[in-house]
Amino acid sequence: MQRSRISGFIACAIALVLAGLFVNYAFVEISPFEISSIGLLDAYTYYALAIPISLVALGICGTGFWVGWTILTIKVAPPMPEIVEKKDYAKVKAFFLCLLTAALAAAFVYGLSVRNYWALAIPAAAVTLVVLGMVFWVGVAIISARSTLPEDKKQ
Amino acid sequence: MKICLMSYRGNPYCGGQGIYLMYVARELVKLGHEVHAIVGPPYPFEMEGVTLHRVSNHNYFNVRKDFIKPHKPFASLLPLNFYEFVASKFGIFPEIETFSVRAFLKLKELLKEHRFDIIHDNQCLGYGFLLINHFGVPFVSTLHHPLSIDRSTWFEYPSTFALKMKRILYYPLLMQAIVSNRLDRIITVSHDSAREINRAFGVPMERQSVVYNGMDAGIFYPVKGVKNRKNSLIFVGNVEDRKKGVIYLLKALTLTKNKVHLTIVDGGAPNRNYVPRWIDRFGIQDRVTFTGKIPLERLVELYSRTEIAVCPSLYEGFGFPAAEAMACEVPVIAATGGALPEVVGEHMKTGYLVPPRDPEALAEGIDYLIDNPDARRKMGKAARRRVLATFTWENAAREMEKVYEEVIGAHR
Repeated sequence: MQRSRISGFIACAIALVLAGLFVNYAFVEISPFEISSIGLLDAYTYYALAIPISLVALGICGTGFWVGWTILTIKVAPPMPEIVEKKDYAKVKAFFLCLLTAALAAAFVYGLSVRNYWALAIPAAAVTLVVLGMVFWVGVAIISARSTLPEDKKQ
Repeated sequence: MKICLMSYRGNPYCGGQGIYLMYVARELVKLGHEVHAIVGPPYPFEMEGVTLHRVSNHNYFNVRKDFIKPHKPFASLLPLNFYEFVASKFGIFPEIETFSVRAFLKLKELLKEHRFDIIHDNQCLGYGFLLINHFGVPFVSTLHHPLSIDRSTWFEYPSTFALKMKRILYYPLLMQAIVSNRLDRIITVSHDSAREINRAFGVPMERQSVVYNGMDAGIFYPVKGVKNRKNSLIFVGNVEDRKKGVIYLLKALTLTKNKVHLTIVDGGAPNRNYVPRWIDRFGIQDRVTFTGKIPLERLVELYSRTEIAVCPSLYEGFGFPAAEAMACEVPVIAATGGALPEVVGEHMKTGYLVPPRDPEALAEGIDYLIDNPDARRKMGKAARRRVLATFTWENAAREMEKVYEEVIGAHR
């Protein structure tokens, strides 16, 4: 088998194994009612974990809110009546997007303040799984890439 | 002067950035300057007197399949490429941001050998430029128009919630606002665009310089011996770009007294779906033709065959298609969106101006010019005279040279 394909398989396998291990130890092996160790962490250790995760989580919530807010508040000329085919519910959906992201951000901040395990685990899981998913995607693309070199690259 | 131009897309056949780079570089060389250009793909052809420095880009945003290059299978996992890959999957357009970082790295390498007097970017304004600013070389950027206009014109048309979300994520407005306020000068291509940049990004008017684009009147000229096609109109531009306002022109076709035929020149036409749908709905299939991508000579000939060019844009930072048609002595009906009145000039003398978003006014203008061949001929000739007097690349380069001198002087 071609070397790059083997490496593609390895990238996919590593991404899958890491995702599996992460989900297992962050969610499966944990009972939410028995977690007490996070509360025992000293403040510096806790915030060393919490601050980067908070930045990412609040950044994502903030982006969602900003998208909804922009759709809600943007002022533009109305479209030509002939091209309006159906009623536009975008503003209603944007309102719910703002509401949802604000609620998620508030829940996250509350969870952080009471040092809830899930407040850190869920955003960390989302980011980790997205990154591993992207590595997997690239791995699959390497495996299925055409194997012939373009003429100008052949030496 | 030793000038370093930058353009995230360098090829003149891929859009306005490449055309701008090609002409500005060529004219600056003619004025005796040493010109280097840091360019992203698609790369420009070799230009006489210009030293090209290429930086890579994987174009993950547009290339959805087969993005792995067989000779570099792991390139996608390198940090900058991986960021570009991930961002593009979330609908963000990362090309200009990553170009700015790559340009910084390339410039860092070049500055070991070259001492540039000025760096001139073309409409990129990525975060990497904040790093370039620390090199202490005067740094200016051409901003053709703020992207906030592209975004708001998209919102004028009915679309789904998902598409609206995509459009918001697509335009890097915050980044461009931050970066544009930290460069030595913003060069823009019309007074209207300067006002819009001031409104959208808060760049003070005194930190902006207006340098009109040029028009190559040697390429765009009235071809002799070509017979006009009766009642013919031409529209040149990307029909999927909502700010071009082509939908208003299609509606106008249903309102004209004369039966006119519209030729649409849009390189991406085979893949378009929005406008063909409206052509069917308006029942004008027999009156609209798409040419697809055509060579420049064919476009010039097409202009000469056509009686009227129409630019119904809701906004244009400059409006190359209007200037091209004018250079070919074709009378232009243009909407007063953005800088089009600055380019087209006086109503009824060098062009015919109508309010934007007004199909009735467009139809009235088309009928007037179809019914008055004398007015058409006079308008066409006056239009070419205006282009030759006002919009040449030679003028543009001389004006730019003055801006460079001012900026370098202020920097010392």
